[in-house]
Amino acid sequence: MTLWILFALMTGLAALSILVPLRRGGDPLTAASANRAADEAVYMAQLDEIDRDLQRGLVDAAQADAARTEIARRLLAAHRQNKGETRTVGTRAAKFVQLLASLLLPAAALGLYLWLGSPHQPDQPLEARLQSDPQGQPVDVLVARVERHLAANPQDGQGWEVLAPVYMSLGRPQDAAQAYANAIRLNGASEPRESSYGEALVVAAEGLVTAEARAAFDRAVKLDPAAPKPRFFLALALGQEGKREEAIAAWRSLLEGADPRAIWVPAAEQELAQLEGRLPASLQPPRGPAAADVEAAAALSEGDRNDMIRSMVDGLKTRLETEGGSAEDWLRLIRAQAVMGDKDAARASAAGAREALQDDAAALDALNRAEADNGLGS
Amino acid sequence: MIVETGHFALVLAFVLALIQSVVPVWGAVTDDRRLMQTAAPVANVLFVLVTLSFAALTWAYLASDFSVVNVWENSHSAKPLIFKISGVWGNHEGSMLLWVLILVMFGSLVALFSGNVPAQLRAAVLGVQGWITAAFLLFVLATSNPFERIVNAPIEGNDLNPLLQDIGLAIHPPLLYLGYVGFSITFSFAVAALILGRIDAAWARWVRPWALLAWVFLTLGISMGSYWAYYELGWGGWWFWDPVENASFMPWLAGTALLHSAIVMEKREALKVWTVLLAIFTFSLSLLGTFLVRSGVLTSVHAFAVDPERGLFILVILCIFIGGSFTLYAWRAPLLKQGGLFAPISREGALVLNNLFLTAATVSVLVGTLYPLALEAVTGEKISVGAPFFNLTFGPLMIPLLLAVPFGPLLAWKRGDLLAATQRLYAAFGLALVAALAVFWLWGMKQVLAPIGVGLAVWIMAGSIAELVTRTRIGEVGLSRGLSRLVGLPRSAFGTTLGHFGIGVTLLGIVMSSAFQTELVRTVRPGDTFDVADYQLSFSGLAPRQGPNFTEQVGHFTVRQGGTEVGVLDPSKRLYQARGMPTTEAAILTFGFSQLYVSLGETRADGAADIRAYYKPMITLIWLGTLVMSIGGIISITDRRLRVGAPKPARAKIAGLSPAE
Repeated sequence: MTLWILFALMTGLAALSILVPLRRGGDPLTAASANRAADEAVYMAQLDEIDRDLQRGLVDAAQADAARTEIARRLLAAHRQNKGETRTVGTRAAKFVQLLASLLLPAAALGLYLWLGSPHQPDQPLEARLQSDPQGQPVDVLVARVERHLAANPQDGQGWEVLAPVYMSLGRPQDAAQAYANAIRLNGASEPRESSYGEALVVAAEGLVTAEARAAFDRAVKLDPAAPKPRFFLALALGQEGKREEAIAAWRSLLEGADPRAIWVPAAEQELAQLEGRLPASLQPPRGPAAADVEAAAALSEGDRNDMIRSMVDGLKTRLETEGGSAEDWLRLIRAQAVMGDKDAARASAAGAREALQDDAAALDALNRAEADNGLGS
Repeated sequence: MIVETGHFALVLAFVLALIQSVVPVWGAVTDDRRLMQTAAPVANVLFVLVTLSFAALTWAYLASDFSVVNVWENSHSAKPLIFKISGVWGNHEGSMLLWVLILVMFGSLVALFSGNVPAQLRAAVLGVQGWITAAFLLFVLATSNPFERIVNAPIEGNDLNPLLQDIGLAIHPPLLYLGYVGFSITFSFAVAALILGRIDAAWARWVRPWALLAWVFLTLGISMGSYWAYYELGWGGWWFWDPVENASFMPWLAGTALLHSAIVMEKREALKVWTVLLAIFTFSLSLLGTFLVRSGVLTSVHAFAVDPERGLFILVILCIFIGGSFTLYAWRAPLLKQGGLFAPISREGALVLNNLFLTAATVSVLVGTLYPLALEAVTGEKISVGAPFFNLTFGPLMIPLLLAVPFGPLLAWKRGDLLAATQRLYAAFGLALVAALAVFWLWGMKQVLAPIGVGLAVWIMAGSIAELVTRTRIGEVGLSRGLSRLVGLPRSAFGTTLGHFGIGVTLLGIVMSSAFQTELVRTVRPGDTFDVADYQLSFSGLAPRQGPNFTEQVGHFTVRQGGTEVGVLDPSKRLYQARGMPTTEAAILTFGFSQLYVSLGETRADGAADIRAYYKPMITLIWLGTLVMSIGGIISITDRRLRVGAPKPARAKIAGLSPAE
């Protein structure tokens, strides 16, 4: 309501700025006469100014005379033309403008505002949003509240501990790693904290187990040698470092005593299968999928997993068809389709690749070889 | 509620501006006093409404109300207070709102301080202001509305471009806009004169202070922008002939010409039609500058967002105003009465010379700025017109103009005596010669142009003082009488002297700093000591530091001269977290007028850093000179006497000259 009262007040002020001057009387001279009178006043003032300049010694008498002559000539001309005419004021135009100000102005302003504005949206100053009832607030507001609390009390280890997994689920692994690091510093090291810290670092590095993350997992294993999570990532690290034999051993020992229903087991088995060469290399993305993706894939059923792989392949296909891509991308697509048993699609892709890469002799060679390797002979 | 109130105020202002653009002009043309009377109150209410709107947006920035798209896109809750305020105009929408705010502020000032302007002229002037206001409010509302909302407000904003997170943003744009938009007043006066078909006796008297005010702000704005680029960009350069800089420099050149022709018009009622044309030309260049900077035609730190729709919109506004006003000029200017006559060698003649050179210089900059854009638009070929072009076109035009500067004020009105003026300048010429020879003797043939440049600068400085000395007649009347005459001189005389003196100061700074600077680019390791000019710098290493919304690497240098420590330099490289964007912060030490400048480049893991170090002799004179010019302008504005240029009476009959008028 206050909003509309304010709008009305402003509109009233705007309308009055037109309506009030319209009612004032004023100088009855015609514009032409008023202009001449103003000119005359200027010339008279200039004559006075010359006298003052002469007294201050800024001009000498001869110059003053010459200037006076010039000005007097202009003054006379203006005076001769000034007939001092007066006239009465017509009312029709003023009536029209009155209507304009009192009807059109409010209507146009309101109409335009309702089209452009959002009258029902309240102000949302940040401070007030953070102070208001946490019930029903979106998660990012809650996170911001905890962040503010922690900015004021950075020694609150419990707070960091609560915030860290929330960061992970919001897809902010970098912040999560920082929060876990703070929790470790303030609450002391423990296996779950170190493992989660390492995991956050791995996700932040897009699946790569960095040296820093490795150190965290090493500490976690020392704290609890039986914990599967740090051992999972350490095995992954070995695989990424190319230490195939050691990695295979690590995966085997991890899977040995494991509960087969544990959520990470399928992922571990897949890693092992890959290392042992039981999985087609064509499905291995260049740098290995992000750990999070692997875990997600592991949590899916067999059918779902195939769907996921198929959707990845389809995504690649669409991208290559619409935007084009490198020879390697095409070869990867063809191989994947062949492995999935869809030879027709693979042949179609090969034809598409041939067209897209027709200027690249080396790529065409590679294409021919890939066709032969995958039994796509035409 | 506050945000929506601001939005409504803006919409209401637009509708009111539409009425203002019709009613007063209608009244002026049909001689209806009542309609004319609405002009001033409406101008004042427009100012109130746009101020409310601007205040609402500022509030949204201060309160970090991220339900406003503009605030969310350009602010951050952790930003220091000063940048929350200056951030209001650190983006496209907000800066256009500031543009309009300054426009209606000038309209309101005209309404308040034009009590003695004939009602008809005042109504027409404010009506024309109404056209500009309505056009730009339409632009803001249609394509750049700062009050758009988001339903689900994010919790944190995207932060302001780190390059703009500087005290410079609080000063440079408002000053520049005050300059740009200030010329709208002279434009409105010119268009009003064309509409009414007459130039009042006091027309120039009202126009000149506005032109001067706009010119002072533009001078300060350009100068501030140049200094900002100098310390923020980290290359040690202060002028790049960048199109955006040219966009502000062109109205400055044209405005300088306008200023001088308005003097002739006020004092001698001559050059009337030319002054009207210059006023239109100057504001057209201001609009062109706004277009170039705001449309995204140019990519630079100034073009906040590239949006073709906006560019097209401003282009249309530009074409209507420039095309319309020049058409009006072609149609109506013949109705205006020509003013007085004068001999070629006279003060008027000198000012015409000034105008010719300044206009030609403006055109050379205009060509250098627009030609590459036009070429790219037509053929797609990208060329870069840089310093070489401007040195060859702008430079040769400036040299004769600067040589002539001291002569102008010494010539009499109507008919002057060049020989007598030259005689009064003997001393200035002698000083300039001595300065040039001294530079030549100190540096020899290493820098051939430097002695000439220094000589020219001293010539202008000494020459501008010579004018003051001549007017006191110290030689004839003795020291004490002379001093009392000096005090009695009108303030405008001091304005002229300071304005011209400032040019000399700036020129001296430009010549000295570019001819004699020392530049060093090298990699330093902690413990290294190296020389820059006469100074020994020791690098003691890099240290991290945490700012409110950035982290930085700070290098620490101790500066010694002849063994004694004279200061420290702490240049840094910052990383602003919200945008992940790095900036360099140069460190500068000032010794007298000269500066030692160090900026950090790449830093290495082993603590080494690439640096650029400069010693720039007398560089601060460049900006101090513009300050002197601006002070001259302000002093001249405060002198509200009527100006009458007393003509030099003809001695005998001089053939071919009729008296003025």
